[in-house]
Order: sequence, then C-alpha cells, then structure tokens
Amino acid sequence: MIGFIKKDFAMIKSNFKLLGILTIIYLIMGLIGTMDLSFILPLISITIMISTFSYDNYNKWDAYVISLPNGRKNSVKAKYITTILMTLITSIAGMIVSFIISYYNTNTVNLEQIILSMLSAIFSTFLVLTFMYPMIYKFGIEKSRIGMLLFFFGFAIIGSIVAKANSSIVADLSLFFQKWQIVILTILPIFLLFLSYRISLKLELKKEF
Amino acid sequence: MENILEVTNLCKKYDNFELKNITFNLPKGMIMGFIGENGAGKTTTIKAILNIIKSYSGEIKILGLNNREYEKKIKEDIAVVLDDMFFPEILTPNDINNIMKSIYKNWDSKMFFKYLQKFSLLPNEQIKTFSKGMRKKLEIITALSHHPKLLILDEPTSGLDPIARDEILEIFQSILEKDECSILLSSHITTDLEHIADYITFINHGEILLSKTTNELLEKYGIAKCTEAEFKKIAKNDYLKYKKTKYEYEVLVPNKKDFKEKYGIAIIDKITLDDLMVLMIKGEK
Repeated sequence: MIGFIKKDFAMIKSNFKLLGILTIIYLIMGLIGTMDLSFILPLISITIMISTFSYDNYNKWDAYVISLPNGRKNSVKAKYITTILMTLITSIAGMIVSFIISYYNTNTVNLEQIILSMLSAIFSTFLVLTFMYPMIYKFGIEKSRIGMLLFFFGFAIIGSIVAKANSSIVADLSLFFQKWQIVILTILPIFLLFLSYRISLKLELKKEF
Repeated sequence: MENILEVTNLCKKYDNFELKNITFNLPKGMIMGFIGENGAGKTTTIKAILNIIKSYSGEIKILGLNNREYEKKIKEDIAVVLDDMFFPEILTPNDINNIMKSIYKNWDSKMFFKYLQKFSLLPNEQIKTFSKGMRKKLEIITALSHHPKLLILDEPTSGLDPIARDEILEIFQSILEKDECSILLSSHITTDLEHIADYITFINHGEILLSKTTNELLEKYGIAKCTEAEFKKIAKNDYLKYKKTKYEYEVLVPNKKDFKEKYGIAIIDKITLDDLMVLMIKGEK
C-alpha cells in the first residue's frame, strides 16, 4: 500500500509549492490585519485530492492497478490515507499560521480557538470527501463533479428552507453542536471516512473494465 | 513440457458477444502470439486471465495456480502491458521506480535504470513529454523490472513506427534469453509474431480457431492455387477454407506436402499469418 501512497504524493508534489505560497500569503494577510484565512488550507486538500482522480482517470490507472498485487484494495486504501495525511499537513500549516498571527496581533495565543477552527476545517474537508469518493468510484470523476454540485445545491436549499420555516430548529441545532462539538468534530469525521472507505472499496472491487 | 498458463473452457457472455470454450496452453519459456481481428475476444480473454472481469466460467491456471484463488500471489509473478493503461503522465520514471519498489517484492531498480539508459529514457522527465514509442518502452521496462514469470501484452506494438517496434521486439527476445519468462502477446501486427512467437493462437468471434506452433503453421500450412475444375476434385476434409478470386481458387490447406501428393497441384504458396487470418475469417468452406 505504501507504493500507492507514494504514487498519490508524487502526483500532488507540484501542489506543495502552491500550498507554500498560499500559506505565506495567508500569513502576510493575517499579519497586516486583513483577516486570518488559514482555515482555508485544509479545504484546499479537497481540490488537490480530487485532481489525483482526474490524472488517474486520464491514464486509465484504475484498470492498470488491477494487474498489480492486491492493487484494487491498496489503491483505494492509499487514496483515503493520502487524504488524511494531506489534510493533516495542511491543517498543521494552517495552525502554525494562526498561531503566528494571533501572537503577532494580540501577544496571546488562544490555542483552543485555533484548534477548534482547524477541527472545523478538517471536518468540512472529510465531510465533502466522504460523499465525493464513493461517487467517484461509482460514476467516475466527471459525473461526480456534477453530482457534488447538485448535492451542495440541494443541501443549501434544504438548509435555507429549514432556517426560514423555523428558526428554533436552527437554534436547537446550534445548541446541540455546541454541546457535542468535540465529538462531532473528531469522532464523526473518522467514522464517516471509514464508512466511505468501505463503500468505495466495495464499489471498486465490483468494477469491471 | 510444463505450462505457465492454462486456459480451459473459458466462457463469458455479454449482450452482443461471448467467449465460447476458450482453451489453450502456454508452455514455460515460450512466446505465444494471440491473434484475431478487432472484437474477436483477445482483450476479453486477457482480462479474464487477469481476473479483471467477473462472472466467467471455466478455469484459468497461472503457474499452476487458480487465478481467482491465488490472485495476489500470481500478480507478484506476472507483468502486464495493456493498451493505453499506465501511470498518470505527470509522473517520471524515477517516481515509477520509487513506487514499484514498494509494490513488488522482486522489484529490480538496477535493471529498471539499466533499461532506461539503454533506451535513452530520461529518469527525471515526466511521462507526458515522451513520444508514444518511448511510453510503450517505459511500460514494457516497468513490466519487466520485477522479473515476472509471465508477461502479458495487449497490442504492445500498435501505433509504433518500425524502428520502435523492432526495439521492443528486441527487448522481448533479450529477456527470454536471460530470464525464464513466458510471453502472451496479443497483436494485429502478425509479421512481428512470425519473427518471435513460438506458438500462435487464433481467436475469432469468441472462439479459438487454432492454437499451434508457429513453425507448424508456417511450414505445414499453405495456400493452393487451383482452377475451378481442380478445386471441385478436392475433398472438403482436405482443406480449411477457400476463396474464389477472379482467375483461380485460393485454398487453405493444413498440410502442403500431403495435399500436393494427393492432388498433384503444383502451386502451393507458403502462408503468412496475415493470409491465414484473412482466409480463416473471410474464406468459405
């Protein structure tokens, strides 16, 4: 499986330069007092990881993988592990940026706030990819992009309808989130990601080429 | 002789196509040319061998092991070059080496770089900068660098110029000399196979029409040229197919010598694999 993780990292290595530049930009923006945008860094993992599927798809890597020992299982597993590693790397970069900005601007560091902000960004990243990956394994990258747009569109519409119809539901949800935020932000994404992995693996193993 | 690949009664049904009782064996250390027109079933057979397609019947044994039960073990010992399926093209040969040494237990980096140098492929160049011939060479080098016991190639020389084709055929011959590797090579370019294949297996409409040694095919088989009167005297069992041209009958015979002795027809041409394919597919009986 390590070989497959190496392959995904080899594909995204060119993005590290861009990530480095963005980290510096967000740091400068925070230092000159514009705003702290470091929470965006983990979210960039989504675009980077999805781009790896485009490269795979273009060269029919999925079909080639089948000729390799334990290829299908390891390639799916590697995709999820690379996603976790990539999200962690970008989150650590984001936390360092937040830490520096906070210290530079206020001479204090609200570590709890920084961690919560990053956990929220990691949660959002994992949530998107949790839905996106099985769709990619089932329908391919192109159809999945459309599917994901429809998903977000539907989610936004339902959200706005619920919010308008009954503001007490929003308040309840907010309270619920505050009460369970650590569980929601840590255990739930891991559980969802694992579930997503099992579904993706099942779909990949069923595939014929 | 020990067989490295045994395909027995392989059947697979699609809506508009089916493989019917595909049976052939590839002996150890030999090259088998797998020929047939487009859509004949070559790639489907290869996919079944690799266990890429599901729900087929029959038995496939590689290195004496069932390809479904021992898939992981088998895939350590085989290598595959499929048409246009490879690593993403933003990677470099260096990346491939780095990846493959974590995938195959027997990965031989020294051999990989030696071949890269031999075929003037730069280790740090992205695959997308390579020509079609260079990519194909890289695919083959990658396939060979874990010392596979069976190499399966689907149209490895298609779309390549004669020089690149010749270089690729050279690679196959050189590995056969060094390693105990067997090759199943599917190709449209039958002239390549005449030079390197020990066996020819011919598939048409999902059925194996013949599976024989190349020598037997090229030495024994022939095309008898005869008049209509001569053709009418030939027993149906003594020929495989015939084609009526403007001036004569071209008759595909499985044994030139016996046929000549029996019917006294003077002109019996040597056969090429192209002739064989055309007459077997287009000819009448």
